[in-house]
Amino acid sequence: MSRILICLLAAAAALPAQITYERIVNAGKEPQNWLTYWGDYGALRYRTLDQINTTNAKHLRLDWMFQTGQSGNFETVPLVVDGIMYITVQGAQAYALDARSGRPLWHYTYPMPDNIKLCCGTINRGFAMLGDSLFMVTPHAHLIALDRRDGSLIWDSEIAPSDKGYGATIAPLVVKDKVIVGVSGGEFGIRGLIDAFEAKTGKRAWRFWTIPSKDEPGGDTWMADSWQRGGAPAWMTGTYDPELNLLYWGIGNPGPDLYGGARLGDNLYACSLVVLDPDTGKLRWHFQYTPHDVHDWDAAETPMLLDINFRGQHRKVVVQANRNGFFYVLDRKTGEFLMAKPFARQTWAKEIDDKGRPVLMPDAVPTPNGTHTCPGLAGAANWMAPSYNPETKWFYFPVREQCDVYYSMPPSFQEGKPYWGSVFRGATDEQEWGLLKALDPSTGETKWDFRYQHAPWAGTMATSGGLIFAGDQDGYLMAFDAKTGKNLWRIYTGAAIVTAPITYMTAGKQFVSLAVGGALMTFALP
Amino acid sequence: MPAFSSLEADDLNALVVFVHDLHAGASGTERPTGDPSAGRKVYEASGCSGCHRIGRAGNVFGPDLTRVGASRSLAYLKQSLVDPSADIPDEFIGISVVTKTGKHITGVRINEDTFTVQIRDQSQEFRNFEKSDLESETVMKRSLMPPYRLPDRDLENLIAYLASLKGGPASGEVKQREGIR
Repeated sequence: MSRILICLLAAAAALPAQITYERIVNAGKEPQNWLTYWGDYGALRYRTLDQINTTNAKHLRLDWMFQTGQSGNFETVPLVVDGIMYITVQGAQAYALDARSGRPLWHYTYPMPDNIKLCCGTINRGFAMLGDSLFMVTPHAHLIALDRRDGSLIWDSEIAPSDKGYGATIAPLVVKDKVIVGVSGGEFGIRGLIDAFEAKTGKRAWRFWTIPSKDEPGGDTWMADSWQRGGAPAWMTGTYDPELNLLYWGIGNPGPDLYGGARLGDNLYACSLVVLDPDTGKLRWHFQYTPHDVHDWDAAETPMLLDINFRGQHRKVVVQANRNGFFYVLDRKTGEFLMAKPFARQTWAKEIDDKGRPVLMPDAVPTPNGTHTCPGLAGAANWMAPSYNPETKWFYFPVREQCDVYYSMPPSFQEGKPYWGSVFRGATDEQEWGLLKALDPSTGETKWDFRYQHAPWAGTMATSGGLIFAGDQDGYLMAFDAKTGKNLWRIYTGAAIVTAPITYMTAGKQFVSLAVGGALMTFALP
Repeated sequence: MPAFSSLEADDLNALVVFVHDLHAGASGTERPTGDPSAGRKVYEASGCSGCHRIGRAGNVFGPDLTRVGASRSLAYLKQSLVDPSADIPDEFIGISVVTKTGKHITGVRINEDTFTVQIRDQSQEFRNFEKSDLESETVMKRSLMPPYRLPDRDLENLIAYLASLKGGPASGEVKQREGIR
């Protein structure tokens, strides 16, 4: 065999296989990897890895820790591909780490411009990957592509101008040959949008405005020209059904957040699920959870895609534990409203009618003197990841039990400046608390709750080891028995947990990793 | 607390003035009627330093009083003495626990999370408890500080003394120099 052929064969053997769209579609078949933000296109966050299970989780201990040296909220969800971990860090930074040891392989820092105004801080929720390219957003609303082999910049595209209030914190979503992102800045009088970029070139392929213009369908749901600064950001990653070829994206609240008088009407597609054709960005259908929202109750929560037995029928559904305190089930092909059940204290809606529209309680709107309402502005649920276990057939998610006093007054609009409509404050004479809730999505019935001392900001993950992993605001990473809710293991990490863990396998060992404080912590059995 | 760097200069100045004026009632315009020197004797005779600290003297069980006159109004100082349960600062909420071995411990709740609670007990020591080791845990609605039923003159003098405490050097500065956060 010639030397050249030997070299080529050796090189081919050493190179990990590239990430393809097909691999992401079939992500469940390679549970040792975490190929996309949610772990899978439907956002179940469930892994068939059971080396760590209900019998031995109590023995989990810290295996390695990587210190980023950064402060602030560390919200990344790592990707793990064939033994390499890729993380984003606040301040437009990124690392590749050896997934077995945590040793850094490369480090990238985006050269952020000086004196730039950022609407939404510098947090970053993670990468997407396709081929040899990694994709991340920057705080000033750019989308960049990096070479996964050395972190070098491939291309840099502006999503939207940051001086007009746009920002980005989202983990992008790769679908076929496109990278899809949404923007932050809903409290800065932007007009929200979702963009798709060509993965190879960084050229914009399509744009979907989350607020229709006056002459578009839904344009009549905004008073006068309020649509031009109506917010409705798309700051969390959507989900995707490859068989239906539909993209599901939750849209944020309208602005000004607490003063609806400036924007009378239902304010489409704020606080809605929009379902798009990923090839063209065209709207296929939508469902609005909270018409004319005045409590900042984004619908940016995870739109999880499930196949369940619903009232005796097998149905493909999209479920969401909404910030407004209701758990929704919709047919994910047609958008038909199937069910909405409250999962937390709520004082704003008498009920959800048979079309899915809330019937409002009187006097549950913000006022100049303040109105006490549950849930609070941060919602009964928020962006934190839920998960699903196909064995129990239950939906696991963090619940925030906390109410606020909402104040309202007309704001003045200045481009790029906050556009709130007054303030809210915690109902300070009340104790907040939180729950990890297991819920049957086919009925909305709670199966078990585990109570947290404080309302959480951390997501969950399910495994075939019969475990649910979750974090809390005090800094505990925990493992629970998925069937009983019994706490099997915990570790105090020292910082509030504001993201969700992942699990992966490399070198024959299963790991659980979590970004917390300034560190990436990874746990395993001895 | 997030930064409010997007405020316009005029709004920022107005906000600063508003926040600054929040303590005007403490020291700016009110004048206590009592005698601070006599009030100091009342403070010492009442054993206040058993829980409170002024400068480096006293204990840490209750709030530090080194600058209390600079941050609290006369009305608040009076209320703190005669009805301390009316407004208990979050960091001085009292808690009472009973362990499964029958021990009763009462103190200031330093931290409480889903699984544990940390207390500063009445001997000023830190105690840590796993909630699974506790029979009961009661967050106290009443302040750990008892209400003081002082003769009117003593009360006025004590209030005057507390109102005179405005730091120098400020307790916070001392703590910073000593590396205490």
